[in-house]
Amino acid sequence: MAAAAPVASQAQAVLRGRLCDPGFVHSALRSSPDTNYSKLKYLVASSVSEACNNSVLLLGPRGCGKAAVVDMVLEDLKKEHPDAISVIRLNGMLHSDDNCATKEIARQLCLEHQLSFSKMASSDDNTEFIIDMLRECGLAHKTILFILEEFDLFAQGKQRLLYSLLDAMQSLTSQAVVIGVSCRLDADQLLEKRVRSRFSHRKLLFVPSSLEDTQRLVEHLLILANDSGLPAKYIMDYNSRLTNIFSDKKFKGILNSLMDADATTSNILRFLFRAVSYMDMESGFLSMESFVKALSSMQRQPKMDSLQDLSILELYILVCMHRLEDKEQSSYNFTSIMKEYRSIQDAYKTSDKYTSTVCFRAFEHLLDRELISFGDNRGRNQALEYRPVKLLVSSRELAQSLKLNTTCPAVLQKLFDRERYM
Amino acid sequence: MSQPVTPRRTTRSSAGSASDPASPSKSRPKSTPRRQLIPAASKEEEGEDERSAINALLEALPGRRAQASDLLRLLAPAPALPLLLYGGAATGKTRALLLALRHIRPRPRRVAYAALRSLPSPRALFASLLSQLSPPPSSSASSRQRVPDKPSDFVAALRDALASLCAQGEAVYLVFDNLEVVRSWDKGGQLLALILRLHDLLRLPQVVLVYVSSATPDAYYSMTGSVEPNHIYFPDYAVDEVRDILMRGHSNPKLYTSFLSVALKPLFRVTRRVDELGAALEPLFRRYCEPLGDLKAVPDESTKRRLFEHIQPHLAVALNETFSVPMRASVDQCKDGNSGVKASTKRQFGSRDSLSTELEFHMSVSAKYLLLSAFLASRNLATLDAALFDSTGGSDNHKRKRKSSQASMNMKDTMVEEMLMKGPGTFPLERLLAIFQCITSVSEDALNDVECPDSMMNGSGMTGLMSDVLLQLSTLCNSNFLSKSRSCPLEGAARYRSNIDEDLALKVARSVSFPLSKYIYRR
Repeated sequence: MAAAAPVASQAQAVLRGRLCDPGFVHSALRSSPDTNYSKLKYLVASSVSEACNNSVLLLGPRGCGKAAVVDMVLEDLKKEHPDAISVIRLNGMLHSDDNCATKEIARQLCLEHQLSFSKMASSDDNTEFIIDMLRECGLAHKTILFILEEFDLFAQGKQRLLYSLLDAMQSLTSQAVVIGVSCRLDADQLLEKRVRSRFSHRKLLFVPSSLEDTQRLVEHLLILANDSGLPAKYIMDYNSRLTNIFSDKKFKGILNSLMDADATTSNILRFLFRAVSYMDMESGFLSMESFVKALSSMQRQPKMDSLQDLSILELYILVCMHRLEDKEQSSYNFTSIMKEYRSIQDAYKTSDKYTSTVCFRAFEHLLDRELISFGDNRGRNQALEYRPVKLLVSSRELAQSLKLNTTCPAVLQKLFDRERYM
Repeated sequence: MSQPVTPRRTTRSSAGSASDPASPSKSRPKSTPRRQLIPAASKEEEGEDERSAINALLEALPGRRAQASDLLRLLAPAPALPLLLYGGAATGKTRALLLALRHIRPRPRRVAYAALRSLPSPRALFASLLSQLSPPPSSSASSRQRVPDKPSDFVAALRDALASLCAQGEAVYLVFDNLEVVRSWDKGGQLLALILRLHDLLRLPQVVLVYVSSATPDAYYSMTGSVEPNHIYFPDYAVDEVRDILMRGHSNPKLYTSFLSVALKPLFRVTRRVDELGAALEPLFRRYCEPLGDLKAVPDESTKRRLFEHIQPHLAVALNETFSVPMRASVDQCKDGNSGVKASTKRQFGSRDSLSTELEFHMSVSAKYLLLSAFLASRNLATLDAALFDSTGGSDNHKRKRKSSQASMNMKDTMVEEMLMKGPGTFPLERLLAIFQCITSVSEDALNDVECPDSMMNGSGMTGLMSDVLLQLSTLCNSNFLSKSRSCPLEGAARYRSNIDEDLALKVARSVSFPLSKYIYRR
């Protein structure tokens, strides 16, 4: 097995490359009919060939492959109609400002048509230029595709960009397609009336895939093809082991629990990426352990983790705060917590009695960890001891972490439990 | 491309110095104790095989075995999904990451490190990243590059810089440290979304994004659900790991082990942060070694017991301190020998709340009185001033006590709660001066001794104290004993508030032998 390691790391590199390439991940869509891919392709292709204007929205939660589908469609169209389309890409996170957006459109148009772009051009000049270009392209039977990613962010403010784009498309001479991509399902409701009436209400909805689809996706991603440049024997061994894992009930259980939390493609990809990264380099194959380990690392509970990291004094303060909340005290601050803490220490005479400066440092640690926070933003000039605070952990989480903590003193557990049953 | 293949070693300090000098940021390297606790492993890396490189990495990161191997696996061959390292302060996140980036194979072409805490604005961040990525301009004439301040320009510039770097298929790592501070920035939400979605925006597979944050991943969920990176959790060190870390680089490990077996557990109940523990343990160890003549000697059982008895009172004091800055006096005492120390520690040990009776700083008598009157003005209700400071000095206010019914008791309880919630009250200057005058007139006889005999105005004892009272007041404000709030729109004059707690006020009162408790209104 001396040669296993380089082959295995080669295979790992191949798999990682696949998982990080959205084009490969979604390439299975190409062959299957009646998907969003085929619908979008038909829509755009027909408006290119029939020389008409069109607009469409792709909606769905993040990580379902909206942008990947757009990329695939564009790639195909560029092959089929090499001269008839030019693509303008905008992103709502970067170009939600109207002036910035028109400038970016003008820049990309200039780049596409080998014109020189003037950085000094005013926003009016740019708008005029865009309208001229739309007309010219229409006359030359060339379709301009506007891809607006994060479409909902363009709908903030006056929506001047959307209006001027869609309004220019109302004329007969222009020839353009606007494709909006958004993770807000109500993105079309955000539009103003004047914009909405100019928008053709075509929407393609993307939903997280079903279990069968996901299984197919996992197989597509992990099964190595024979032409991947690795030794044929290794590929055979690898694939047969992998199919054994896939048919295992345990693996289906893992997939199920993963998809219960989040069934989007990006989550599956993250899971597979971890599993591939945990590949056992000694044997050189993916094993069930790597999948199990990947799942457990995906299912961490950050709050519980940071509750486990607390020192005894910090736990005391949390329990004091919880007791105050249980007494239905509407608001409390550090001084009232200290009062509660002192009364506990006087009653039980534990060894964990510290001065208030030490307690205040522990209190600040809790603030740092964001397990507690200040109740309001007012009173910034007030001393921190007097600002009202609140707990950010539930009593169930606190109870569980006290139970799990092996160093937690019995008194603390008792203090926490007693008030719950009294 | 004749770029050097070795990655730029960017530590907290060098990353800051590599940033654009024109940017307003001045990076401040983090305080050093942690650095000293974990001395850098200075290994030559050339020609080492992979396994020993990993071993060296694990050696340099005690207690972080799982995290380090996770890091190496998730970062290593170039196309990789974004990664988020999170965990509490002082858990070795940045250090583990920077060391891992040195050890990964194939070597990254470039590592750009941006600590957001030292880059206070988006513009500074953009400038720092771009200057780390693009080669420094050869001629000074072209160095006046425009720093992009819009996100769109920045992403375009970043893509250009990265595309030329990744042309040969080598990896570039972008590290964003202290991600949690961005949330409190002006328009921080937008910048955070931009930083977290850089992977989608750039679409360059050879660029690996790494985020380091002390806030948990759920702190970054925004309304439209931003992309979640893969994450690695750095838990706080367990007690054995802390011991391993503290043990590193000690000349006499046996002695230090016996010290830690005594001192670490109790301190660990208070705080689990290595940096704080290190700072607290250092002076304690010096104390621990005091009875020993030879620091190199291996202690036997009887010495250990003797040392334990010696350290125990000091340990009890250290538990109740957050910072121990040695006073000049106490340092002198240390030098003189430990006769005085014993007495003082005994006293401190006796009173568990460590109410050391004497004040630890010097202050003029009139400033002390002013501080006391400010404390009283903040604690007491203004309406009760007349009762407390009447001609008899407020000693006979028990006359007005009525029998308390249940209802009034309840009302008092709620009032106590309210006082606890509201904190010290504010007061105008006039009230402060009035109280000041009252309490100085009460203790007139005590002041007669210090008054100058040839003073022309020795009719009343307080004239000496009343001089320069505004100057004293501003001194107290500057030293943060009092705080001055903005002027009230109705009254116009500024209002003050005392920031000292009752313990300190009592100490001050004792030092001028003023009966403070008589004047505090207790419900």
